[in-house]
Amino acid sequence: MTSIGTGYDLSASTYSPDGRIFQVEYANKAVENSGTAIGIKCKDGVVLAVEKLIHSKLLVPGANRRIQTVDRHIGLATAGLLADGRHISNRAREEASNHRDFYHAPPTLKALADRLGLYVQAYTLYSSVRPFGISTILAGVDKSGPSLYVVEPSGVFYGYNGAAVGKGRQLAKTELEKLKLAELSTREAVFEAARIIYLVHDDAKEKDFELEMSWIGDETKGLHVPVPKDLLDEADAKAKAALETFE
Amino acid sequence: MEHIDFQKLKTGEVNLGTSIMAVQFDKGVVIGADSRTTTGSYIANRVTDKLTHVHDRVYCCRSGSAADTQAVADIVHFYLQMYAQQTGAPPPVHTAAALFQKLCYENKDGLSAGIIVAGWDKEVGPSVYNIPLGGGLFRQPWSIGGSGSTYVYGYCDATYKEGWNEAQTVEFVQNTLSLAMARDGSSGGVIRMCVITEEGVERKFVPGNKLPKFWEGAEVLGKPVSLATASGPAPMAVEPL
Amino acid sequence: MAFNNAGFDFSNTSRNAFLSEKGLPLPKATSTGTTIVGCLFKDGIVLGADTRATEGPIVADKNCEKIHYITENIRCCGAGTAADTEFTTAMISSNMELHGLSSGRKPRVVTAMTMLKQYLFRYQGQVGAALVLGGVDASGPHLFTIHPHGSTDKLPYVTMGSGSLAAMAVFERGWRAGMTREEALQLVTAAISAGIFNDLGSGSNVDACVITAQGTEELRNFVKPNERVQKERSYTFRRGTTAWKTENIRDLIVSESVKMVGGDEMDTS
Repeated sequence: MTSIGTGYDLSASTYSPDGRIFQVEYANKAVENSGTAIGIKCKDGVVLAVEKLIHSKLLVPGANRRIQTVDRHIGLATAGLLADGRHISNRAREEASNHRDFYHAPPTLKALADRLGLYVQAYTLYSSVRPFGISTILAGVDKSGPSLYVVEPSGVFYGYNGAAVGKGRQLAKTELEKLKLAELSTREAVFEAARIIYLVHDDAKEKDFELEMSWIGDETKGLHVPVPKDLLDEADAKAKAALETFE
Repeated sequence: MEHIDFQKLKTGEVNLGTSIMAVQFDKGVVIGADSRTTTGSYIANRVTDKLTHVHDRVYCCRSGSAADTQAVADIVHFYLQMYAQQTGAPPPVHTAAALFQKLCYENKDGLSAGIIVAGWDKEVGPSVYNIPLGGGLFRQPWSIGGSGSTYVYGYCDATYKEGWNEAQTVEFVQNTLSLAMARDGSSGGVIRMCVITEEGVERKFVPGNKLPKFWEGAEVLGKPVSLATASGPAPMAVEPL
Repeated sequence: MAFNNAGFDFSNTSRNAFLSEKGLPLPKATSTGTTIVGCLFKDGIVLGADTRATEGPIVADKNCEKIHYITENIRCCGAGTAADTEFTTAMISSNMELHGLSSGRKPRVVTAMTMLKQYLFRYQGQVGAALVLGGVDASGPHLFTIHPHGSTDKLPYVTMGSGSLAAMAVFERGWRAGMTREEALQLVTAAISAGIFNDLGSGSNVDACVITAQGTEELRNFVKPNERVQKERSYTFRRGTTAWKTENIRDLIVSESVKMVGGDEMDTS
């Protein structure tokens, strides 16, 4: 890496001569090393799926969740440093709660992404702090319908129809692009999401992984909840089977 | 019992001893108010506009201290401009009412403000919210407020029907306010009204000499001598200015 | 004895405590028991004021100025506590100048009105300024009253101060929409005169100010209906009115002698 040894990468408050902030770019590296997380926006809801890598066989199954609930109608999945993900979800909950308190109305996803983006960006300004080593996928259904946002370590956020972050994002994006998202139902999207997570998982290089999924849509009455166990198992089995026949 | 304690007004404070109301109908809301502002026994403004714009389709009716209610309405106006700018959409009436409530409740010891918030939004259509003195928040199909309202609760209960159209609602507001203004000494002047619908805000005005009339004691006292018939008004002889 | 401490002086607190303990009234601030008015006409605004300042029953100033400068095209009449009207208008005038400089636009009357009402509201009526604000800006002529608690009214003709009732009576009878400059000035003069002659708190002369899009005319002492006339008799005492017993004349002129010290005079060429 050309940045190393130049001294321009020691602090988030220092630009390199060509106008880059290396600390933010390093934060993106932390995201790239993480297990993949994807989000799918379809006609009647949104689905989140995460490839949670298991670094020890001794871990209790289902521990260290990477998908969290922010508000009744909003969920969030992170890729990157796990602890940063927990911090950002706490902040997001606070923002959502404040919005409800102030406006007596649930926050829209755009409003929440906006606030979270501002918060993340503040950590790229000072030498005393480190930028967040995570990309956050925000998913929810609000008064304008289903929506999906990704907040990056720099603080920028974009709205997506399908989003993928982490190690297998390239392949995942290619798969997402093949889907007809506007015609997909949330239930169908659950199967697609499971299939993509299994597909992008590198069996040769990586340890075991756990498939974590949640959804929000008409089927959940607009609430962010984990995908029910029977459906998750079904999707899991189908994804495994699809992997056998792939290519 | 909820009563309006005007003793809470500081001495010399400008008072909107008022009759205000808002009524919801199928396509929008009708809000109305008298036009009297007093300092003690002096009418500081006889053509006051107590129907205050806080956003494109959200208005409030103010009662209590003029200074307090103007300050609160100005702050809410600012918040709603920020909201519209940040979300790219007009605020719901409910959110406007919540902001009013927040200010009125959190500063209840320092304020004397009774506010009715009314308007139209995309989510729920027309709505009316009442925020009385302590800072409560109540959604109502119709709401009356100010010192004059105490005289007309019975009239409203007896008269109001669901499913009125715009013209019927306007007539109800006009009649109610006229009755309140006739009985309440701190209310009077003209009636100002606004009809707020999806299409826009239409102002209505009833001058003091065109107010709807009700019983005025003719049966007991006989018809009052009409000034118009008694060879016209006789102005006092005053030196020309 | 003359202890001089740096910082704030809170000695008035103990003075006031002492006075109230003795049941004595607290010292009163000079109040401009006043008549001030404003009036809209065809091309702009006419403001008017009397010129009496009082301290309780005493006339403190027989010809004070109550029409304060805000900006070139905005003026403000003040009633209530003289010090408060003076300093509040001066502060807002200063802020309006800065606002004009930073925005690069001619400041508007509503801006001054908003600044004043927010300032007065913050002090919950403790700043005793009752104001009539008038001016002409890009959006036309505007006239406001601002009460000490921070409430405002926008009307075509307004009065304030202890003489406001007398002045309003004149306005209610005489005001018409679309008056000429001369008619408006005449009406304002009549309204202020009503205050001067019928209200004890108001008196002396009529100050007026005409603001149009073309500019501002200050008409200081526009009418002086209370000029001191020549005294009918002379009250100077004749020489020798007072008897005396002894006479002692002293020389008050100090005699000095100057002695040159040193040599030549300084060369100043």
